Amino acid sequence: MGDEQRSVNALEVRELTRAFGVRKALDAVSFDLPPRAFLSIFGPNGAGKTTLVKVLTTLLNPTSGSAKVLGLDVVSDAVEMRKRIGLISHNPLLYPDLTAEENLLFFSEMYGIEDPQGRVAELLEAVELDHRKLDLTRTFSRGMLQRLSIARALLHRPEVLFLDEPYSGLDPHAMDILDGLIAQIRDEHTFVMISHDLDKGLELCSHALILARGKIVMFEPREAIDEPVFRETYRSTVGMGVA
Amino acid sequence: MASSSMRQFRAMLRKDIVMELRTKEMLMSMGLYSLLTMVVYFVALSQAGAGFDPRDIAAGLLWLAFIFTSMLGLNRSLVHEKDQGCLEALLLSPVDRPVIFFAKAIGNLIFLLVVEALTIPVFAFLFLQGQSVDVSTVALIPLVLVAGSVGIAGVGTLLATMSVNTTGKDFVLAMLFIPLMYPLLLGAVTATAAAIIGGPEGMSLFWTGMAWVVGYDVIMLLASYGLYEFIVGA
Repeated sequence: MGDEQRSVNALEVRELTRAFGVRKALDAVSFDLPPRAFLSIFGPNGAGKTTLVKVLTTLLNPTSGSAKVLGLDVVSDAVEMRKRIGLISHNPLLYPDLTAEENLLFFSEMYGIEDPQGRVAELLEAVELDHRKLDLTRTFSRGMLQRLSIARALLHRPEVLFLDEPYSGLDPHAMDILDGLIAQIRDEHTFVMISHDLDKGLELCSHALILARGKIVMFEPREAIDEPVFRETYRSTVGMGVA
Repeated sequence: MASSSMRQFRAMLRKDIVMELRTKEMLMSMGLYSLLTMVVYFVALSQAGAGFDPRDIAAGLLWLAFIFTSMLGLNRSLVHEKDQGCLEALLLSPVDRPVIFFAKAIGNLIFLLVVEALTIPVFAFLFLQGQSVDVSTVALIPLVLVAGSVGIAGVGTLLATMSVNTTGKDFVLAMLFIPLMYPLLLGAVTATAAAIIGGPEGMSLFWTGMAWVVGYDVIMLLASYGLYEFIVGA
């Protein structure tokens, strides 16, 4: 990896605004995130957290401003960028009428993965679902769906992983598997996680961001965070409502 | 189309067909609706007077049934993608948006053609039995069906993608789809009616109708292709 590549920020967000009609879900948001950082995003419902992740994952176009992920613009370099990012959402993002194996093989085709059978088998084993690979995912429990969703997101070995409330609705076993998978790849990847769980978010993060009404209230590296102040700031935003 | 796009296109189409063969949701609902519409038309027109010639309105009845039937399938095809956020997963992958559009549109076209193939014999039995028809021109009807269905599937896929995130998506799709189908309906009904009645004048009308339908297909498919990326990112 060259010096130039090393120095590229994982995220560069400049005056990013996304409006839905007259309402600004994101209002001139700017921040940088270094490579291999773990950013936890907190904020009340309707603060703009999911909109921010949707713009950063190319699912929504910004209204104004710009955002780069791994130096690639979310609008002009979208196709190239999608090869290098993954998303684990509270929604499983899986087809209920395909089997676990068919789902992963389908997304392998979408990403052009070499030896898809081998990669799918490896991931099914990692998320402990190899014994259910031939079952339709509509028969899976919430925890099993989320484990399969983790396998789907990791198929193409993304460099930046977006996690939108990934622990939501998980049983303790599934939480342990997710924790284990994150720990395994933590040092080589950049993570952006939306969470309502302050303890979990602060435990994992290298940077933390509080968003309210579409604006950044606080953005700090972990070592600079005064935890009582951070918690109080977060609590004060919870009553602020929708952007 | 680049080889990676072709591979992705085939995978998406195969996925839609496998899922439909497993659930039969679209084919069953569209097929039953189309057949029931034919029966309702037949019952409603059975009291018409002796001077009534069903050939005069048969083409219109057929295409109305296909337009309404297709709306049922178009909505369902996108609802499958919305279930559990699958459309997001698809949009997150490095696939050009037009590839997604064409794969969904071709899938919808295949299902619509299957339903049409099931409906046509029932239609012929109920409305054309014992009528004088020109067999040589009736054989051209599949041409109109394919050309008309291409327009329905193309425009319908675009509009279903637009409406799937709205509240009252069935209503929104109908409000957008039916007015946009008017030019297609005009050409397709003209060509189909001309094929049923036949004769030298009929042939001329048939090709005029076909030219109208093919022109509609080209313009609307290009517009849908151009708009799809904007619509999924809006």
